[in-house]
Amino acid sequence: MPRLPLGEWTDSSVDWLQAHLSWFFDAVSTGVTGLYDGIDAVLSAPQPLIFAGILAVVAWWLRGLAAGVLAFAGFALVDSVQLWDEAMATLSLVLVATLVTLVIAVPLGIWAARSQTVSAVLRPVLDFMQTMPAMVYLIPGIIFFGVGVVPGIIATIVFALPPGVRMTELGIRQVDGELVEAAEAFGTTPRDTLLRVQLPLALPTIMAGVNQVIMLGLSMVVIAGMVGGGGLGGAVYRAIGNVDIGLGFEAGVSIVVLAMYLDRMTGALGRQVSPLGRRAAAKARAALSAKRPGAKLWAHRPQPVTALVGVVVLALVAGGTGFLGRAGGATSTTASGPNSGHGKKISIGYIPWDEGIASTYLWKELLERRGYEVDTKQLEAGALYTGLAGGQLDFQTDAWLPVTHAQYWEKYRNKLEDLGSWYGPTSLELAVPSYVKGVDSLADLKGKAGQFKGRIVGIEPSAGMMGILKDKVLKEYGLEGEYEVVDGSTPGMLAELKRAYERKEPVVVTLWSPHWAYSAHDLKKLTDPKGTWGKGDGVHTLARKGFAADNPEVGAWLKNFELTEKQLTDLEAVIQETGKGKEQEAVRVWLDRNPGLAEKLAPQ
Amino acid sequence: MSRLQADHLYKVFGRRTDEAVRRLADGADRDELRAEGTTAAVVDAGFVVEPGQIFVVMGLSGSGKSTLLRMLNGLLEPTAGRVLFDGRDLTALSPRELRAVRATKISMVFQHFALFPHRNVLENAAYGLEVQGVPRAERETRAAEALELCGLAGWEKSWPDELSGGMQQRVGLARALATDADLLLMDESFSALDPLIRRDMQDQLLVLQQRLKKTIVFITHDLNEAMRLGDRIAVMRDGRIVQLGTAEDILVRPADDYVASFIQDVDRSRVLTAAAVMTDGAVPADCPEGCACRAVGPDTLVADLCAVAALAPHPVTVQDSDGSVLGVVPTERLLAVMGGLASEEVTARA
Repeated sequence: MPRLPLGEWTDSSVDWLQAHLSWFFDAVSTGVTGLYDGIDAVLSAPQPLIFAGILAVVAWWLRGLAAGVLAFAGFALVDSVQLWDEAMATLSLVLVATLVTLVIAVPLGIWAARSQTVSAVLRPVLDFMQTMPAMVYLIPGIIFFGVGVVPGIIATIVFALPPGVRMTELGIRQVDGELVEAAEAFGTTPRDTLLRVQLPLALPTIMAGVNQVIMLGLSMVVIAGMVGGGGLGGAVYRAIGNVDIGLGFEAGVSIVVLAMYLDRMTGALGRQVSPLGRRAAAKARAALSAKRPGAKLWAHRPQPVTALVGVVVLALVAGGTGFLGRAGGATSTTASGPNSGHGKKISIGYIPWDEGIASTYLWKELLERRGYEVDTKQLEAGALYTGLAGGQLDFQTDAWLPVTHAQYWEKYRNKLEDLGSWYGPTSLELAVPSYVKGVDSLADLKGKAGQFKGRIVGIEPSAGMMGILKDKVLKEYGLEGEYEVVDGSTPGMLAELKRAYERKEPVVVTLWSPHWAYSAHDLKKLTDPKGTWGKGDGVHTLARKGFAADNPEVGAWLKNFELTEKQLTDLEAVIQETGKGKEQEAVRVWLDRNPGLAEKLAPQ
Repeated sequence: MSRLQADHLYKVFGRRTDEAVRRLADGADRDELRAEGTTAAVVDAGFVVEPGQIFVVMGLSGSGKSTLLRMLNGLLEPTAGRVLFDGRDLTALSPRELRAVRATKISMVFQHFALFPHRNVLENAAYGLEVQGVPRAERETRAAEALELCGLAGWEKSWPDELSGGMQQRVGLARALATDADLLLMDESFSALDPLIRRDMQDQLLVLQQRLKKTIVFITHDLNEAMRLGDRIAVMRDGRIVQLGTAEDILVRPADDYVASFIQDVDRSRVLTAAAVMTDGAVPADCPEGCACRAVGPDTLVADLCAVAALAPHPVTVQDSDGSVLGVVPTERLLAVMGGLASEEVTARA
């Protein structure tokens, strides 16, 4: 069987598209970003609780008092776990994706319902879109659209489009053929048949499709978070990366609150907008209040006018307080010291690893003190390098070179510039908890497979260190066959480490330094007398090509940037103590404890 | 001028339809075409419907009657042949002109009512007028009138699913009548109703027809219904019209064994009239002065004739409205007809 170069074709067509259709992708990107920014600005403008009130009134109107109260409680919960801004960002993302999806899906569905050929052609395309794993097209998405919300929204649209199209087609096809014939028999034009008969009758099914689109959009949120989509997905992604179960749960619950709210509201809206649904709902209500008069209070729904007045009043209050809040907030300023940045915009990308978060927020604070406007984006490694090479990001501080990130460096080296290492050397190692006695070096592992159940708990099989471990380390120490390296993920490895550590079970894991696990648990690095792991990496700062020339001052600062192990672990510890979402405050606290450091790192 | 004329109508589904029509015209069988993947639904149908007539097309399912009906208002385009409506060839019209004809001149009543579930009764009845672009106030008045005509006054604000089957079909009838179309196409309109309701609806249709004098093409698979309603009846089998005539023609002179097997179950006493069973002859000689007998009109049903004959000691006289004698019906002839003997046999025995 000859090897079909499918992958190469894909590569070259992606290159071709990028080269020849960049104007198109730019236009899409601009349009989607504009839509997203607009909606996000509106949603995050009001005070959280007032906006929660508006959402609750809508729920009250659509579903009754009980739904209104629960909606308010749910959104108040989101606000109280301090994920409100993230939730609104996610809501905006889902709304934009849903809007664009419906604009495409409903006409396509109508077309497919009217033409057997279109339906037959669309079906495999839709299957492809729905089942192709999102990560596969997210990276090309970044190449086309750059990091940020756009690839996330595009991925959501691709994923959510199929049910939208299918449900529209199904809804229209389901309409009784005799009714369509009756419309035709009375001389109705095809257009009117669609508008007066088919669409109104298909509406409940189409609304079920809208519901599906929204739910699938929400399920894509986490993946969008990996390519800089931010929002609750970003929070979940970071929580996974740090095995922060608490944050993960809070962000997860917030997604659930959003999902349930949107699900129930679109369901109720579906009944409201379709005449058949309205009648069925009225009947059900009459039956319910006849059976259980007490249920009436909770099922009470205000007149649309009352609901509208409520929403408007709350919106006005929100507008008023928003205005006051902004007026009050303007007096406090974060900028201090000499201003040499003049508001120049700089965008930093980071992988949610501890040293990445620490150094990124350190530079955010430093650059803001110098008058730059800094924007940070949390990304998955592949997305980070793609974004940097594409010029949507200015620099990142967490490149492990020359070993760990070698593959990315090889791919993009002529689109990046290396501003040097600021920390190092790092090291790769196998680690065991210190309560495991008699195992201090890699050589000691031999013959102890029984103790460790014959397993070395690894991370992503694609990671550079996994290759070194399997091809070199095990061979050199004669551990091949005795130990099995378990492929998995970094969070999985850390969770397994935590579990074993708490039960005092022996475990051996792949780990690297610096890593917070060493401060969280009492661990031993297994020594490597044969030097099989090679020399350690340096943590480099990488910038897009031309960044240092555009910003000579910042370029010089970054080239001279250096932290000691003590400085880095201190900073990481302060960030851990201060808690999520307050990284920059933690940096300020840390800088206050280290007087003069800011001037040293970013001299005027 | 006839209102509606069908001229060598063919409808063939599948591939190479023109060739199929040519072969069918040469007498090819429907089954041999089906083996090749072409379905001949209607083969060489031709008939004329006069204004004010109820024309019934009778046949079992699959006989092509519904396809035939849909060619009459252009919902289906004939593969060959013409449909003349008031002298206009419908097959030559553009889609837009055809829609205009359907909106104003031809309306349709469906087997399963086909009421729009998202519109109330009044809105349903007004649908055709809405398509025509009649202003709301006027169309609601006219729709309400049509509903009243069909016995549904007071139900305007109800919803279709709140009505019984019979009432729903009245709405369907009102919707068809509201547009004031000249031609009413009724596709098995009463088949989905219970027998008693069906009979009611048939009666009501006949009463309405006496007032409105529409031209109606009525499709049914029920020969009793066909005979009750039809001024003229076409019997279809395998896409072809096998017999065309009045109810009596079909009952008394079935064209072939197929039709004959059909009419076995028909209640002849309620179809045949005195005119159809009478023999030549003058007023019987043995009718004494002051005899209890009574003469009947030519349209008297045989069922009613039996009651009259039972009281008369001699053949019953059939006479015109002006008193001229048309013929007589001897009692043995009545018995022979009721027993299903063909008229020729009776004549032969007599």
